[in-house]
Amino acid sequence: MATPVNIPAPSKTWELSLYELHRSPQEAVVDGTEVCVSPRSLHSELMCPICLDMLKNTMTTKECLHRFCSDCIVTALRSGNKECPTCRKKLVSRRSLRRDANFDALISKIYPSRDEYEEQQRRLLERLQRLHNPGALSCSIEEGLRQQARHRNHRVKRPAQESDNTTFSGGEDNGDSRSHLSHDSAPSQAPHPPGHAPPEAGPSRKRPPPSEDGSAAGPDSGSPTPPPRRRRDGPASEIELVFRPHPQLVHAHDYNQTRYVKTTANATVDHLSKYLALRIALEDGAGQRGAEPGGAGAGGAPGLSSVSEKQYTIYTLTRGGPFTTLNGSLTLELVNEKFWKVRKPLELYYAPTKEPQQAPPTAPPTAPPTAVPAAPPLVAPPAAPPTAQPPVAPSTAPADAPPVAPPPASPPPPPPHRDG
Amino acid sequence: MASQNMDPAAATASSTAALKGSESGGSAARGSVSKRLQQELMTLMMSGDKGISAFPESDNLFRWVGTIDGAQGTAYEGLRYRLSLDFPAGYPYQAPRVKFVTACFHPNVDEQGFICLDILKDKWSALYDVRSILLSIQSLLGEPNIDSPLNATAAELWSDQDAFKAHLHATFQQ
Repeated sequence: MATPVNIPAPSKTWELSLYELHRSPQEAVVDGTEVCVSPRSLHSELMCPICLDMLKNTMTTKECLHRFCSDCIVTALRSGNKECPTCRKKLVSRRSLRRDANFDALISKIYPSRDEYEEQQRRLLERLQRLHNPGALSCSIEEGLRQQARHRNHRVKRPAQESDNTTFSGGEDNGDSRSHLSHDSAPSQAPHPPGHAPPEAGPSRKRPPPSEDGSAAGPDSGSPTPPPRRRRDGPASEIELVFRPHPQLVHAHDYNQTRYVKTTANATVDHLSKYLALRIALEDGAGQRGAEPGGAGAGGAPGLSSVSEKQYTIYTLTRGGPFTTLNGSLTLELVNEKFWKVRKPLELYYAPTKEPQQAPPTAPPTAPPTAVPAAPPLVAPPAAPPTAQPPVAPSTAPADAPPVAPPPASPPPPPPHRDG
Repeated sequence: MASQNMDPAAATASSTAALKGSESGGSAARGSVSKRLQQELMTLMMSGDKGISAFPESDNLFRWVGTIDGAQGTAYEGLRYRLSLDFPAGYPYQAPRVKFVTACFHPNVDEQGFICLDILKDKWSALYDVRSILLSIQSLLGEPNIDSPLNATAAELWSDQDAFKAHLHATFQQ
């Protein structure tokens, strides 16, 4: 198109793109049809690309039809190249621009109160400023961590409630929907047919208090109910621990990973030991499978079924003292209270059980005999699923601090939607 | 009046005249600059671009630190560079001063870290922002302009990519 200076004859050739030549006009919406526009895309339409704010006294370039705030484009033309900031089309002077009153009217239709919008924008930026101040950043990271912890509690608690009035067999996959059901009509409704579930549903609801007296109740009862998962509401029902190889008993070529585990506080040392054996068997199996694709499947299965809590002994390091072997029937909570006492993740050590020492750990014979038959189906679920996912969660916890940083950063995202 | 509809020039002539009177001084107040920088920061944090990042250095919103990861498939792959961005009071009408902090062996970067890039000089537009600057520099790393080198050695070596890469990685210092 020509510049205003030399406007030629009425017969003008318009430089239209192929798209512009062939597009058909969109039909006007005359009925009650609602068209949804995301605030974000709306914002990019109504925004001045120079100040990134909402257009104010819109000016449009006559040739390329790009819009700017009047102040912005005038300053841009005065201070820089005489070209459209968006597409570099030549803009000789302000004469290459025109007021776009229609667009201003459109904006004031969408945002009747500009003051309100600006106030909102200001608050938003203020929040951002607080974020980018390093001190405040760490503050908000902490807040983010706290919130995450709170959510984590919710997540774990819900299946736990469910397991109180149904059996544990439900797994955790669709725990959400089911737990709503069981809240409404728990006693009458038996979503799971496992035999004794209905009779147990009623009493087990009142059971949590009795289970307070310790984990022994779990194995002793002999029923395939999980170890009581909820002793108290609150963080005490869960425990985080760091699980390291025993520095003297585990050799470098042995399995020697440090594991970060989070589980219920009333899981016992035996549970932990069995979990470890299972994990190691699984990971070994995976390794072998990679090495020899042929005979792996057959080799893996027996390995898993023979997994037992006796394969590994768990130790704790007492203050200033030597490594102490932990009795298998101790709950982790007890271990924590007895040996650790600090407000830090409990640190435990593991090593393959030595044959001679095999006798003492098995000494409390009541636990293994009853627990072992019951254990494979039941111990694995409570110990494995919660822990299988924590290795991701808590293990990240120490190193995760930076990735956690985005949460404080991510609060900003919603607001722009709001402001548009 | 009818003619006004036919002749856009005439129609706007009057409005530009009106504009002349109402036009404000257009001074880029410090407040509006920091407002824009905050907007940019917010967009950057939300966009989550891979390979580039930037953040104000301290409480001073007018000085940022950026990082660029060498793009995949270029000699710079696996190397990470830190840059400093200084925003003048005339930003975004004036380009920020961008400099490599990490020493960068590149045909268009000199020993002090100054970058020869048109969009940071005469081709600057108020529409560029931190994100587009960093992306431009990232692509400049892989596609230097050999014809106007600041670092002649690097420009000469560029034709031999293996040697260039070897020298680049041997001399790279965090």
